[in-house]
Amino acid sequence: MALAQFSVVTRRRFLKALAAAGLFAGGGVGWLAALRGCAPSVPGLRCLGDQEHRTLTALATALFPEGGAFAAGAASMDLARIFDGYLADEDEDRQSDLKRALLLLEYGPLVYDHRNVTFSHLEEAERLAHFERWGTSDELLRRQVSVAFRKFLSLVFYDREEVWPEIGYAL
Amino acid sequence: MSAIVDVSRERAESTTVDVCIIGSGSGGATAAWELARAGKQVLVLEEGGDFVGGALTRRDGMYDQLYMERGGRSTSDLAISVLQGRVLGGGGVINACDVVPIHDSVLRHWQKAYGLSDFSPEAMEPFRKAALDDLSANMPSESQLNENNRILRSGAATMGWRGEVMMHNRVGCVGLGKCLVGCMVGAKRNPRMVAIPNAIAAGARILLRARAVRIDDATRDVKTVRVRTLDPKGYHEQYELLVRAKLVVLAANAVASAQLLLRSGLGNEHVGQHLSLQPQLPITATFERDVELFHGIPQSYAVTEFEELATDTHGLGGFRIEAIGGTPGIIATVLPKLGQKGKEQMKLLPHIAASLLLVPDAGNGTVTVDAKGRVQIAYAMPEEQKKRYRDAAKAAAKLYFAAGATRVLIPTAIPVVLERLADLGAIDALAFEPATTPFLSAHQQGSVRFGTSPSTGGADPSGQVYGTRGVYVLDSSGYPSSSSSHTMTPIITTSRYLARKLAS
Repeated sequence: MALAQFSVVTRRRFLKALAAAGLFAGGGVGWLAALRGCAPSVPGLRCLGDQEHRTLTALATALFPEGGAFAAGAASMDLARIFDGYLADEDEDRQSDLKRALLLLEYGPLVYDHRNVTFSHLEEAERLAHFERWGTSDELLRRQVSVAFRKFLSLVFYDREEVWPEIGYAL
Repeated sequence: MSAIVDVSRERAESTTVDVCIIGSGSGGATAAWELARAGKQVLVLEEGGDFVGGALTRRDGMYDQLYMERGGRSTSDLAISVLQGRVLGGGGVINACDVVPIHDSVLRHWQKAYGLSDFSPEAMEPFRKAALDDLSANMPSESQLNENNRILRSGAATMGWRGEVMMHNRVGCVGLGKCLVGCMVGAKRNPRMVAIPNAIAAGARILLRARAVRIDDATRDVKTVRVRTLDPKGYHEQYELLVRAKLVVLAANAVASAQLLLRSGLGNEHVGQHLSLQPQLPITATFERDVELFHGIPQSYAVTEFEELATDTHGLGGFRIEAIGGTPGIIATVLPKLGQKGKEQMKLLPHIAASLLLVPDAGNGTVTVDAKGRVQIAYAMPEEQKKRYRDAAKAAAKLYFAAGATRVLIPTAIPVVLERLADLGAIDALAFEPATTPFLSAHQQGSVRFGTSPSTGGADPSGQVYGTRGVYVLDSSGYPSSSSSHTMTPIITTSRYLARKLAS
């Protein structure tokens, strides 16, 4: 389910993006890790790590916030775990590509906006605005990552039965 | 031994048969029926599982099981989603049931431009009729047209544009509206329900969850197809078995058939070239009244005013506007807004009408394989084609406003929102850069096109792949240009025609 599309973030393209941002010449790997910080432990994941789960959850809750037009939102759904389940059944190359895509997204504010903060630490509105800029970026890589995540998360969010009455849908 | 063996659950052994057919969709199932009926010992290999009745849950989650790459196949740049069935019965299980036979003008174009005199309208006529019989082709009744399709018809009538209710292959449809994830009531008279049972009755056997990964000995009397079995969900390869056959028939779709030839090092420089994706661009319109595009037959009306049946360059041309419906998840994937605005957008779902702008192309794509044998699809869209999408979007917008829409949306990354006719000029700015537009392809054709010599095609007019002896393509891979706006009926037509020749 849209997972094949994560193969866009090859190791080469990932390193190129980081290098372009000058991150290897800056504070080094330790500084990057410190900036990212610790993520809460999530038991039972099959493929994603805690950090990756946090990044994806931060994205899902920005894309599908609680309240507004209807009550349901991603915060109570753990869409990242659904993604983890799908990813676990993909081949190792695709898993690696996806993890790089999540890492790039996490460091997106640093790489592309030159801010000393990572995606998961942004406020919800900032996360949404940051991700929306990826979708309209001049850089193909960012647009591709945007398309892939948006499609997957939209598909699984609106496949949830608790959302259907809110949007006037029934089987 | 059962005629259908799921090798993810029941161990299969290597075997020898007369004919090994790779793919069980419109091309493979029809060929299996014809060749088994002619007395050949036929074995069909299908990567997917068998889904009928309640196994088809009507949920978006079915994309995972019914479509290639779990529904995620796309061009390498993510510009176009490539929808391809991976299930017993192939694309006919998950299509919108449109029955649009191959037009005489297309066949004449193939004769004139590619020298394919075998495919004359006269030669094809009995096979077109047979295909319509297979499909129980019929016209939807007036009551079967849902509001989404009626809006399109109403708008076309107001504009004075030509359009038509399309024939379909439903019998006993109850209007569930989930055709793109299979029909749980079995109303589709598709290859799964017609050709497959007939092929089995004639003696054919089928292996499910069986992936053909290589063809060896392609110039010898007996070819060897290397098959890797998959797990019950089709995610991982398990063990290998060999199928030895005098004839190998590729009918795995224009992407997968070319992929297998390339993985096997077979064929000439045309293999993998000239791929037509016939991409379609979604467009939506908002109405004050209820539309509920998710109920009833999703696609039954087409605006044909701008369709050209014969262009000099690539046969079919112009564009069509066709209504479309779907499940909420897949609809949400093409709508551009996110966050609270995205929720507001989906809250309006019952009021949204949608259609697809179908633009026949000129075979601008390629299929290649990487070092691990995985498929890579590239597609370059020329400016002439982009202009037709812009023209189509303007026409659709005019139509929707004529039908009473309050807003029209072209769901690009920076959405084009039109609230009045005066806004149409905004469409001119659309550049369709990769990964900005939710193009989708449901009619892949032409990656091993028929040619009268190896200098013009990858397979000869009988379907035999150049450079092989007894390896045939009997699916849409052979088409030198787009066969139709909807490929199920043409594939059944030409597969039977070529399989009957092969049998004789």
